[in-house]
Amino acid sequence: MGDERLELPQGTLDLLILKALALQSLHGWAISERLQQISREALQVQQGSLYPALHRLERRGWIKAHWAISENNRRAKYYDLTRQGRKQLEVEMLAWRKLAAAVGHVLDMA
Amino acid sequence: MLSDLMYRLRTLFRRRAVDGELDEELRDHLDREAEKYRQMGASDEDAMRSARLALGGQEQVRQQCREARGTRLLEDFIQDLKYGVRILGKNPRLTAMIILSLAIGIGANTAIFSVTSTLLLKPLPYADADRLAILWLRSPGIGIPQDWPSPGQYHDIKTQNKVFDAAAILYGRDYILTGLPRAIKVDGISTSSSLLPMLGVKPLLGRVFLPEEDRPGQALTVVLTYALWKQSFGGDASIVGRSITIDGNARTVIGVLPREFRLNHEVVPTVGGIDKPEIFLPLPLDSKDDQDYGPENFNILARLKPGVTMQQAQADIGAIAARLREEKHRDPSFTISVVPLLEQVVGNIRSAVLILFGAVALVLLIACTNVANLMLSRATVRQKEIAMRTALGAGRKRVVMQLLTESVLLGLLGGAAGLAVAAACLFAVRRMHPGNIPRLDELGMDFRVLAFTLAISILTGIVFGLAPAFRASRVDLNAALKAGGRGARSGGLNVRRDKLRGALVIAELAVSLTLLTGAGLLVRSFVHLLNVPPGFNPDHVISMHVAAYGPKYDQDAQRFQFYQSLAQRVLSLPGVTSQGAISALPLTPSVGWGGMQIEGYVPPPNQPELQVDVRTASPDYFTTMEIPLTRGRLFASSDTDKSQPVVIVDQKMADRFWPRGDAVGKRIRRNEKSPWLIIAGVVGVVKQYGLDTDTRMVVYYPRSQHPGGSMFLVARTTAEPSGLADAMVQQVHDLDPDVPVYDVAIMRKRVHDSLARQRFAMTMLGAFACFAMILAAVGVYGVMSFLVTQGTPDIAIRMALGAQRSSILSLVFQQGMALALIGVAMGLIGALSLTRLMGSLLFGVSAKDPLTFVGVALLLTLVALLACYFPARRAMRVDPMVALREE
Repeated sequence: MGDERLELPQGTLDLLILKALALQSLHGWAISERLQQISREALQVQQGSLYPALHRLERRGWIKAHWAISENNRRAKYYDLTRQGRKQLEVEMLAWRKLAAAVGHVLDMA
Repeated sequence: MLSDLMYRLRTLFRRRAVDGELDEELRDHLDREAEKYRQMGASDEDAMRSARLALGGQEQVRQQCREARGTRLLEDFIQDLKYGVRILGKNPRLTAMIILSLAIGIGANTAIFSVTSTLLLKPLPYADADRLAILWLRSPGIGIPQDWPSPGQYHDIKTQNKVFDAAAILYGRDYILTGLPRAIKVDGISTSSSLLPMLGVKPLLGRVFLPEEDRPGQALTVVLTYALWKQSFGGDASIVGRSITIDGNARTVIGVLPREFRLNHEVVPTVGGIDKPEIFLPLPLDSKDDQDYGPENFNILARLKPGVTMQQAQADIGAIAARLREEKHRDPSFTISVVPLLEQVVGNIRSAVLILFGAVALVLLIACTNVANLMLSRATVRQKEIAMRTALGAGRKRVVMQLLTESVLLGLLGGAAGLAVAAACLFAVRRMHPGNIPRLDELGMDFRVLAFTLAISILTGIVFGLAPAFRASRVDLNAALKAGGRGARSGGLNVRRDKLRGALVIAELAVSLTLLTGAGLLVRSFVHLLNVPPGFNPDHVISMHVAAYGPKYDQDAQRFQFYQSLAQRVLSLPGVTSQGAISALPLTPSVGWGGMQIEGYVPPPNQPELQVDVRTASPDYFTTMEIPLTRGRLFASSDTDKSQPVVIVDQKMADRFWPRGDAVGKRIRRNEKSPWLIIAGVVGVVKQYGLDTDTRMVVYYPRSQHPGGSMFLVARTTAEPSGLADAMVQQVHDLDPDVPVYDVAIMRKRVHDSLARQRFAMTMLGAFACFAMILAAVGVYGVMSFLVTQGTPDIAIRMALGAQRSSILSLVFQQGMALALIGVAMGLIGALSLTRLMGSLLFGVSAKDPLTFVGVALLLTLVALLACYFPARRAMRVDPMVALREE
């Protein structure tokens, strides 16, 4: 089913997770669902690679985790963006846009 | 950065909890994903399956998460460590062998490092020690490498220099302290008031000298060291203000120095040769002294201004010296050199210590090589285990890390055991302490030494572990697993198949040959030294220093009378066959010299007057010491203060001025004002300053014409002389309890002690070399014996095909000898380039001494041959039937 979908470029998963968490705090599965939705099903996010990314972001202090009772009455681990994470998101978004524009520019020249 | 570290630490310590949380999180994810598929209409089973597929391998996810947390390396390490401990425990004999090798290697290094650190690295115990310097006169052009300065030069330096912020002059000799139950000799330093403050010494009690005490006319004062205060005055707290009698003069004690203060001979070699000063006296100099360049008997210490380098100081003092050279018509090579105080202390032992340090590092290198070889054998045996791990997905890096963890663990265990070895070594060194190696009594283990041990333990672990680890990680899976657990064959009986192990053994042999050569050269030097005739017969002679001076002995006649009576008493002791007295005994720090004029000889212009050693001897001194008379006669009782003044010169002086053997009857004198002295006889040359040191020309005065106060008494005995010591000392005390006796020793011991430094270096290097040789032999044995074990099937087949046992034997020997000969050849090359550094330690032997080189090469080859013998014999006894059936 995923033949049409794009592989996620290296490093962009972190950006997408930060973006997803910018609106509200989410648990792991919800992040994976949200990424599918906001990328309009166009991006292939390996569910398995989500969790190492979360650990990595937590180590860098960009997200924080806490346990809470979820909507289906079960304990779930929720992730929030920290202030540092919010700043990082801005930085990375800007960087991504610059990169995308630059790459687009180069491709248009041809 | 900090939060990152905190995170890592937290996850590390809460590893189990964090892992549990991850499991719960993943379970939750799976449940929700499955729920999604169920709602889309899938069956329970299909939903779960799809969910699992979507998430991917859970174990992989867990692993990646651990890696993302940044603690994987450490977690792996802990795992490796646990495993390593288990593995080492499984083979206790091998482990013990490895740890023992390392313990000796690391321990010896730790011991020598603490010696090096104590001697060369630790600053001297004075304030601003790195700015302190000692000044020496040098006239290399006329054979005076180093001489003491005079008060005149001190005055010029003090007033003209631009580089020192403090300078001090001092003079050392021994004094007699009376008023105690028995008179004692004390070492004393007279000094300007600037010395003690410059060294940063604060008195424990009272005060030190005041600047006004630098000029004459002040009350006589004295400052005591802590040791003298404790030993001779019982630590009397009210000592300050008390009067004590020194050389017959009453002096007021004004202060006591702190316990840790010392200004020993190695720091300031005074002209009087005192060892450890026990009293300090003021040194009043008047304006006439400030112009007195004659008595070159003083030491000058100075402290550089902050920021001034030793080179700048040397340039400034060199300019002052150049001025003096012009004004005082010194010889053209005259200069004054500024020697950093630490250099003064350790300068002439630095090379010896560094050579020992180098030697012991080589021993450690050999120990490492050996352990690497043992580990290689083990790695070969463990190939199957490693192959299994690799097959199960362990990366090469992971396998190397695991093996390295094990070897570092071994290194650390070896280091811990090495500390015990080092403590034992230091104990031995302290016991062997020759006394004339400066600062050795400060020896101990400090944090620097511990840090060094830790560092070399880890480094050692890595060094000896690296080669086996990489080798082991390059396993051929198929071959290793198929070989059924016996490990892959190195294949047949050929050492060339195992290049790495061969190279290690060659290296071991080469390094130990280098060490053996160094040790061999030292042994040869030492034998040469032992065979140097001292110029006297040291057997059955006892000697002691007797000091009769002070008010009671102001007159020549009194001193002469005292020693005459003493001679009678000593001669009457049972067992004494002859006795004599001399002012400066060979192989003691005592000295005496002066200017001399020779009739008919005019020294070249621009050179100071002729300087010779002068000694005062009793008539029987020469016969007692068995110093041969070569011309003329010895002193006799007919030489008195009323008769014609005579002297005896030594052969060196006779050869220099009267080479035709006609010295007897010629005339010499001290200066224009003194009477002519007639040479009555010529005696043999005596090694005064050490068996390895050239002597100077000597003039002996008869005691009857120059009665000195401080004399060495010597007595030749029929039996072991040490038994007479107490009786002789008692005779002095009976004669006059106010005359101190000290430095009692048999002459044999003085000769023995004079070689202490050489013996120390030889013993240490010899021990290291022996150890290196043993390690190398073990290395050869290990490799050959492994080769035989691995090659047993090969041997069996050869035998089954009809090979003679002797040909098997020679096959093994050939292999071993190939290694040995390459190692020896390389070692010879290494030794040729390294022994050059030992020049200063050698005596009578060239650094390329062919006998030593050939000797050690033969010795090592023989040892290697022996090491091959046991494996070869085992190979010869292989029973082809048994061996092949085992296949």
